[in-house]
Amino acid sequence: MSKTVILYGTESGNAELVAEDIGEELNGGSSVVISDMSDFDVAELSPEDFYIIICSTHGDGELPTSARPFHESLSAASPDLSGVKYAIFGLGDSSYETYSKGSEHIDRVLTELGAERVGEYGRHDAADGSLPNDAAVTWSQSLPLFV
Amino acid sequence: MNAIKDLPSQSPTIAIVGSGPSGCYLAQYLRKRWKEAEIVIFDRLPVPYGLVRFGVAPDHLGTKAVARQFDRLFEREGVRFIGETEIGNRVTLQELRDAFDIVVLASGLHGDRALGVPGDTLPGVHGAGRITRLINGHPGEQIDGLRIGERIAIVGNGNVAMDLVRLLLTSPERLLELGVAEDVVRALEPGSVKRIDVVGRSAAHDAKFDLAMLRELTKLPDVSFVAQNLADEGIADADGIAKRDAVAEIAGGSPARAARSVHFHFGWTPERIIGQDKVQSIAFRSTADENSTLLLDVEGVLTAIGFEELTTSPIRRSHHESAESELDKGYLSPGLYCAGWLRRGPRGTIPQNRVDSKMVADAIIEAVDTAQLVPGKPGLPALLAQNPSNSRHTEESA
Repeated sequence: MSKTVILYGTESGNAELVAEDIGEELNGGSSVVISDMSDFDVAELSPEDFYIIICSTHGDGELPTSARPFHESLSAASPDLSGVKYAIFGLGDSSYETYSKGSEHIDRVLTELGAERVGEYGRHDAADGSLPNDAAVTWSQSLPLFV
Repeated sequence: MNAIKDLPSQSPTIAIVGSGPSGCYLAQYLRKRWKEAEIVIFDRLPVPYGLVRFGVAPDHLGTKAVARQFDRLFEREGVRFIGETEIGNRVTLQELRDAFDIVVLASGLHGDRALGVPGDTLPGVHGAGRITRLINGHPGEQIDGLRIGERIAIVGNGNVAMDLVRLLLTSPERLLELGVAEDVVRALEPGSVKRIDVVGRSAAHDAKFDLAMLRELTKLPDVSFVAQNLADEGIADADGIAKRDAVAEIAGGSPARAARSVHFHFGWTPERIIGQDKVQSIAFRSTADENSTLLLDVEGVLTAIGFEELTTSPIRRSHHESAESELDKGYLSPGLYCAGWLRRGPRGTIPQNRVDSKMVADAIIEAVDTAQLVPGKPGLPALLAQNPSNSRHTEESA
């Protein structure tokens, strides 16, 4: 059965709340599963499902802790992800040179393995102190969920 | 979805002491497990969020935004905030434990560690925590004749030291725009600082600052960066090399002449602060060569070498530890836990303390789910009945 899987990679918890808000927004449509990227088995990535990835940036443009196992598993196993579709929303802070770089690591590895990014690359800049939630929910409304 | 185990155990009543990031993260995790439990967060200040509000630099709005995440606890998740209530003072810890099934101490560590050298109490020596709290409008801090001066030394090379360098080289206009009080801006005289020496005990590759914090300094206009003692030997790890190289790069890439300068000194231990009735200079000794000394003429010394428990604090962890305590999971005694800096010491960023709170929350959940702790205490009504004066409390949600 096809479902929408929302995967979040977080350091301070903001991406998790964004995932929950998007999950609430999509509720009522297809079935929605929300998971921390560190709890998700990359072997489950399937063309049957649609993935929404919410990922923050940590330190000097690095992946947040909870996204690292996901990235490492993909890099190590190099599965063929042809047919897998995903949308991505990056969190960051343009006070730092490495604004929003964390999500780009995930985007790159998924693309390299054959997955296809759909919709607009969503981003939120926390430099003004705002939470990403409203922007992310608006972004999620524009996604072609049933591609 | 995050699976919620539907176990038959009754929801416990929970009191959290301290509304900083550790206390708030803990409330988030406990709320996920117990949707209906009474969770009350107490704070000695009238407003919540502790270090997020008073410790994070005012220009780090992205970091401060975590407070918007915590707002949800009080706005949507039914967690109660009770301010102006210092536990151990207005309400005793025993009263709190009598009323609540679970009490978690998350009051942090906010005393500036002193240098512990002769002269470290001279006028002109200030703790970084105090300066940061002043800048952030902490109600317990006063300017009290504070004047920073044109030439200052910052002792320590962690992220707090980086915050101070950046804030002291930020224009007064920008600080006012960020909401820093006018009298504080005047006392700090930002913009009039000519030279800052940042002196740390560790070598550049072992320095405690995060790379992103160091790189942020390059955005400051009209500053010349100078770095000394950049050792090449004995750097084993890639992170260390990256740090050392970043310092060299910043120094190499900055103008040789500028209106302000920042001098990094690595590998020096403070020895004494010299002055009659105020700071005149500070002396250091090399960690590599005991015959080598560094003397800096300065108007002020800011110490940023970490935080410790204040001996005057009404809650001290050691008073509640016993042989049965298991500090590695935050367990002090039945129903009493600790989290965050009070548990682990003054180390780790906000996200690292989120992980810490998760661990303590898991230990609490396990104790209840395995019936080691059986809920039954009535919570806040019992506390208010014990001590009617406590009903005069403030509640706030932002």
